[in-house]
Amino acid sequence: MWAALAVLFVGQAVWDRVLVEPTYVKNYMPANKAFSAGLSPEQFLFALSGFREMIAGILWVKADSFFETGNYDAILPVIRLVTWLDPHQIDVYATGMWHIGYNFTDEQSRSDRRYIPSAIALGKEGAENNPTTYEMFFETGWIWYHKVDDNYSQAVNWFKKANEREDMIPARRNLLSTALQRDGKIEEALENYYKLLDAAEARFKADSSDYQARSGRDTIEGNLDTMLVRMSQRGYWGSKSNWMNTIPYDTQPPFDVGFSVKVTVPEPRVIRFEGTWGVRPVGTRIRVILRDKDYPMAEPGGMKWDQGTAVNLDPPKDVTFMQDQLYVKNLRFDKTCNLAKDPTMYPFKKDDYEVEFYYNPRSSPPHIQDKFSWNGEGMTDKNFLNTEIRPGTRVMFHKIGLTRDMLLRRGQYSMSGGSLPTVMTTDYIDAGAKGTEDLIDIPSLRSQAPPTAK
Amino acid sequence: MRVIFSIAATTIGEAIRRRVLLVILLVGTLLLAIAPGLQVLSARQERTVLKSFMFGTMQLTSAAIAIILTVYLIPNEIDRRTIYTILCKPVRRWQFLVGKYVGAIGALGMMMALMTFISVILFYVMQRDAPVSELAGIGQVAVMYYVQMCILAAVSITLSTFVAPLVNFFLSGGLYLVGTLFTSVFETFEQNSKTPGLVKTIAHLVGSLLPNFSRFNIQNSAINSVQTIGSETRYYVESGVYGVMYIIATIIVGMLIFEKREV
Amino acid sequence: MPAAIETNKLTKSYKTKNRGTTNVVNNLDLHVEEGEIFGFLGPNGAGKTTTIKMLLNVITPTSGEAQILGKDVDDIEVHRLLSYLPEKPYYYEHMTGMEILKFYASLFGINDNEKCMRLLEKVNLAGDMNKTINQYSKGMQQRIGLAQSLLNDPKLLFLDEPTGGLDPIAHIEIRDLILQFRDEGKTVFISSHELSDVERICDRVAIINKGTIEKQGKLEDLLAGGRVEITADGVPQNVSDSIKLTDTIVSFKDGRIIVDMPDSADTNSVIDSIRTGKGTISSIIPRRKRLEDLFIETVRDANQVIKDKEDAK
Repeated sequence: MWAALAVLFVGQAVWDRVLVEPTYVKNYMPANKAFSAGLSPEQFLFALSGFREMIAGILWVKADSFFETGNYDAILPVIRLVTWLDPHQIDVYATGMWHIGYNFTDEQSRSDRRYIPSAIALGKEGAENNPTTYEMFFETGWIWYHKVDDNYSQAVNWFKKANEREDMIPARRNLLSTALQRDGKIEEALENYYKLLDAAEARFKADSSDYQARSGRDTIEGNLDTMLVRMSQRGYWGSKSNWMNTIPYDTQPPFDVGFSVKVTVPEPRVIRFEGTWGVRPVGTRIRVILRDKDYPMAEPGGMKWDQGTAVNLDPPKDVTFMQDQLYVKNLRFDKTCNLAKDPTMYPFKKDDYEVEFYYNPRSSPPHIQDKFSWNGEGMTDKNFLNTEIRPGTRVMFHKIGLTRDMLLRRGQYSMSGGSLPTVMTTDYIDAGAKGTEDLIDIPSLRSQAPPTAK
Repeated sequence: MRVIFSIAATTIGEAIRRRVLLVILLVGTLLLAIAPGLQVLSARQERTVLKSFMFGTMQLTSAAIAIILTVYLIPNEIDRRTIYTILCKPVRRWQFLVGKYVGAIGALGMMMALMTFISVILFYVMQRDAPVSELAGIGQVAVMYYVQMCILAAVSITLSTFVAPLVNFFLSGGLYLVGTLFTSVFETFEQNSKTPGLVKTIAHLVGSLLPNFSRFNIQNSAINSVQTIGSETRYYVESGVYGVMYIIATIIVGMLIFEKREV
Repeated sequence: MPAAIETNKLTKSYKTKNRGTTNVVNNLDLHVEEGEIFGFLGPNGAGKTTTIKMLLNVITPTSGEAQILGKDVDDIEVHRLLSYLPEKPYYYEHMTGMEILKFYASLFGINDNEKCMRLLEKVNLAGDMNKTINQYSKGMQQRIGLAQSLLNDPKLLFLDEPTGGLDPIAHIEIRDLILQFRDEGKTVFISSHELSDVERICDRVAIINKGTIEKQGKLEDLLAGGRVEITADGVPQNVSDSIKLTDTIVSFKDGRIIVDMPDSADTNSVIDSIRTGKGTISSIIPRRKRLEDLFIETVRDANQVIKDKEDAK
């Protein structure tokens, strides 16, 4: 009897571990992250049973009031709990991801980029838990496309996965082509448009009185036309047929943007960026990043946005990462970033800092891309052209160092008698003639002669 | 066999008349009945919340019934001395224990069937457009809950052969909680690289020895029927076999202890 | 023919709080013949129920042996031949009298509705067989208990306080049923402290106190040795002096002489000598020994011995 008992106990354990557990973990087990998130005991008890989704519903209703009162910090744990309790609450995943990605800003409306990896991780988790519907794939792709706005191949991957889902809304399928163009994959973008056009045609033919089907088809047709025009204009066909050298395409020869910058710290934690950019049409935004020199996972022009699966709702408060954009107007930019009002977002606890200036033509608006082309073929900078940090793309990238004393105006830079911290590129030229500030000129780059150094 | 059947039948007859169980069952069915009214709490599909609430009610009610029913089953027989009138007949102790157990899960089955029936009817009335597969899903979840409750009943009837009812109540309840949390807690434990090896081994051993109730919590996939699961039937069979193995092992332990027990 | 019950130094001991052991039943040697009604007497806590539980194999003895109808008590087959009626039993309240009988019958593998019916008639419950147990009076419950204990035509019946807590009429009914069992050749083992019942129906008794048998034997033997009380007037001094025999108490009251003597003594010669001395005998009362006397005597003596032993220590 005892032997039989021992065999049974070992048997049940082995059977459970070998056969039952893997299937259970794969298909039925709820994510176990709530143990660190912390439910109240009674919520926990209820959550153990089938009440899980119900509790999630109640919590999410509660979170509404936090949104209304702007108590954004209080929402984070709710998002975490709700998505754990009911991993199929797509709305909560999507809202949570947006919330983390967009809503945490400083006084001057700069997003707290330290949260982005968590937003992406939440998106990944949501997609993993809801693999049959397109929504979380699309939302995650959107964060890459719009918020990260740099690493488009990630956006492409996610949009592709979204497009594989049957329930993907037809109108949203176009976005893949846009992302593919931004990622420099022109042919693929074109191919996708054709595919979508075929599908839209079929839908329209099936029911020609369906207004949506008609407008869907027309939109894709329009998009396709525009794309074909651009391909022609930007010398896509030309480069294929060796016309490039015989016909003056807009993208040739490369245009020198003439980037120069001067960084000063007029007051503690207030940084002023002034400089030049030789593109007159509006629409240029140069990315500027001020961060700890040893910021974890920092990468040129940003950071490693995809940091795995950990949804860390409480990013390290003692690191500094500021990212902003410098808008070019009349060939110059001048922006003062006041970081003094947000000591939790910009603690400045480290000794050494780096400022990066980064311009990726892939993020440019189409009218500028008409000159620079998709990958910056039509762009250069005599000092700061970089072809390494973004393989396959010609970008502008420049990095300078700052110290804590400079940023906080201490020591030799103290406000009382110290010198004004100033770092500038060698060919920086102060703004000359006044009165050009109001001049806004939107000529085509085509009509502009290659600039000469001032 | 006939002896076991007779004892089981008598136990069912007694169990379905026990007032405390009927009160719990009544509360459970009342909760089920008000489920449709709770849909306002839903942030999302009301169907999700409706099902979640129904499953939660069903599970908690069943667990309460399973524990309270079995915890007193044998001690009551001893207190009221009915056990002597039975054991002085040509009835072996293990037959008595098994008969009581079979009766307990029989009564439990009837009560759970009632709750499932009410749930299905309510769900059908509230969600007329729901596909039949979702109605069937309620049944599947209920059946898996039933297996879970059978394990729970086996554990608490075995404990009742040597532990006082009140202690047993908390012990069984505690085991149920632990067993439901199991996979989540122990897996966190085992996967955490910071956990020392010895602790991992112990966690693994304990995890393998105690009943893994969570295996039968399949409500998540039923609540969110968008998820498609491959080899579903295979899982039911495999987890069912696991449940039966565990029940047999537990009841044998109970038999061995009860054999030596001075009543 | 083997004895109905035979025990040899049967002992059950439990551990006490201070790590010692206490013998609830101590070296018990019981002998019950087949076909007799045996009274098992003792005060509360004497070890009566523990002994029965050992005989029914519900608990295991610490040491010693016990046999029932020639078989060891742990032989489950012996349970086919015996039955047990516990003290104040509780039956499944939701069942009717008939259902109870059918249930217990099924435990023997018996499926015989007529037999159940017969038994219900025998215990005079046929008219109430469709009432549930919770509608039964105490006496009815006891009678249904007796009925279920007869399902297997037992050779040996254990009755634990069968008349406890019953009204006089129920009392008599049960008593008559037990006497009927003897006529049917069954052995009946009654554990009780209702001494008047036992005295009326038992053939042999054993008196147990604190786990030990103090007296065991035929009732008539144990109660042998009654006394005679002779009351006489006008007995001269010399005559009264001559009566002072062994175990005889002579007392005087209101000028009368009262002689209290064993009935085994030479009563006639005492009467003769009173008459010879011109005394007038007013009454001769034989006083039979009662079981109650024996019981109290036995228990008191036994407790005195235990107390003496403890004092000696």
